Amino acid sequence: MPNQMDRRTLFKALAASPASTAWSAPGKVIDAHNHFNFHARPTWADDDRKVMEAADRLGIDQLCCSILPPERPTTMEGFRLCNQWMAEAMKRYPERVLGYVFVNPGYGQAAVDEVRRYVEEHGFIGVKLYNDFRVTDPQTAPILELAAKLRIPVLQHAGHTTWLPAPQPNISDAGHIAEAARRFPETMLICAHICGGGDWEWSIKALRDAPTAYFDTSGSVADEGTVEFAVKTLGADRVLFACDLSMTTSVGRVRGAAISETDRRKLLGENMQRILARRIR
Amino acid sequence: MIDINAYLGHFAFRQLRHNTAEALLRLMDSRRIDRAVVSSAAAITYRNAQSANEELAAEIKSHRDRLIPFAVLNPAYAGWRHDLRVCSEEFGMRGLRIYPHWHAYKVDDAVCLELVREAAARKMPVSIPFRVEDRRQQSWLVDIPDMTQQEAIRIARAVPEAQFIFGNGSGFTGSELGRKNNGLPANYSIEISLLSSLAGNEVGQIIENLGAERVLFGTGMPFHYADGALVSLQALDAPAATKSKIAEGNARRLLGL
Repeated sequence: MPNQMDRRTLFKALAASPASTAWSAPGKVIDAHNHFNFHARPTWADDDRKVMEAADRLGIDQLCCSILPPERPTTMEGFRLCNQWMAEAMKRYPERVLGYVFVNPGYGQAAVDEVRRYVEEHGFIGVKLYNDFRVTDPQTAPILELAAKLRIPVLQHAGHTTWLPAPQPNISDAGHIAEAARRFPETMLICAHICGGGDWEWSIKALRDAPTAYFDTSGSVADEGTVEFAVKTLGADRVLFACDLSMTTSVGRVRGAAISETDRRKLLGENMQRILARRIR
Repeated sequence: MIDINAYLGHFAFRQLRHNTAEALLRLMDSRRIDRAVVSSAAAITYRNAQSANEELAAEIKSHRDRLIPFAVLNPAYAGWRHDLRVCSEEFGMRGLRIYPHWHAYKVDDAVCLELVREAAARKMPVSIPFRVEDRRQQSWLVDIPDMTQQEAIRIARAVPEAQFIFGNGSGFTGSELGRKNNGLPANYSIEISLLSSLAGNEVGQIIENLGAERVLFGTGMPFHYADGALVSLQALDAPAATKSKIAEGNARRLLGL
């Protein structure tokens, strides 16, 4: 491939670019929310490889990923396959790709057992929940309680729209996550994608008074000011760099944000390192 | 480096920063962007868009060396012919920007086509954004869908003599608009503010399919962070000459600079 740069080379070039802000000494960069592809997709292996190549080119050291099946509601067979494939991906990219175990809480004890097994036996670092149940639904409670015991984060898909009919009737928003954080103060909840979940100002403000909850910066929306507003409202300790497959937009968002370099380092990796360090091994 | 897609002024539904001429220029300096095409963000929701064009002309009066104004006009509103003449001849605006969905007309309405033909006759490129902001976050007061790629195709076909700039979009390679040998007139360029050069590499695919001459650097600032487009351009796996065309050369040709 012409002009291909090795890992870190482009990152250094980006940091040194006159067009960049100072992202010159970021320490470890951890993407707190990304995905590999469901294997029914014919191009899954190539698409996964491209995600890793993008991470290489952008200087992302570790990616916290899950695989989600396309159908809803999520079946037990569906999430079991996804977690098995995720475990295989972690073996393909050891220490580089960290897995979230994905479950549908509606399967009760089977879902709880799946989380425990993949965390304790396969070294997964957290739980990913989608829109099968709201995070405040009693059905989700056993998962949140187990996550607190295992000291792992729960990454909750979220969005808040004010106009469109909700295409995902059980989607959680930041208000639900704040409520769950009040009910389960020992659980580390991550509200997914500031920039992929509708009205980001509403979402950030809704999460303000839930000090144990985090927000990840991922998403395809390129709006200026999102990161600054999150840092100002939540504090830099509660904001996590992430891409959720929107690689260049998400890196640009954190690189371009007018925040201190100390805060940028927190977002880029220090906060997620602190979360990962709590896990019982 | 020339940014083909920037704004000044206020937007009705969200605070914009860096939205005065001086603030935008400071932001451009920090990103080493030499010049930017600017249009009024306020014109998106003013009933009489010409008032916003007047504000823009006054705002950039001392900065014409770096800020290149485009007029926002609504062909469904009274007096657009007069306003186009004023914007072109008196304000020296180099292009036209239209918002069919926000201003409630169809791209193939006779008045829209007439405005676009008038702009083409004046050698003014016509910039059409697919969206102003993501629909999921729109205010409860509005419900404005994105322009579809089929609409873009219809207007490109309808006025082959015009030069279109399609911005704030993505998914081009999934439609006829971004495919090779698509039979469409080569009268449109695609701006990269929401496109990635990694993973799916839509920028690279568009270059492959349409040619690098039809790809333009644009940021959407201050609605957007400039750095998303900058990272995409920097990470693009292409020769320096190709990147230079996208960053500046194509815009120079299109704007007659």
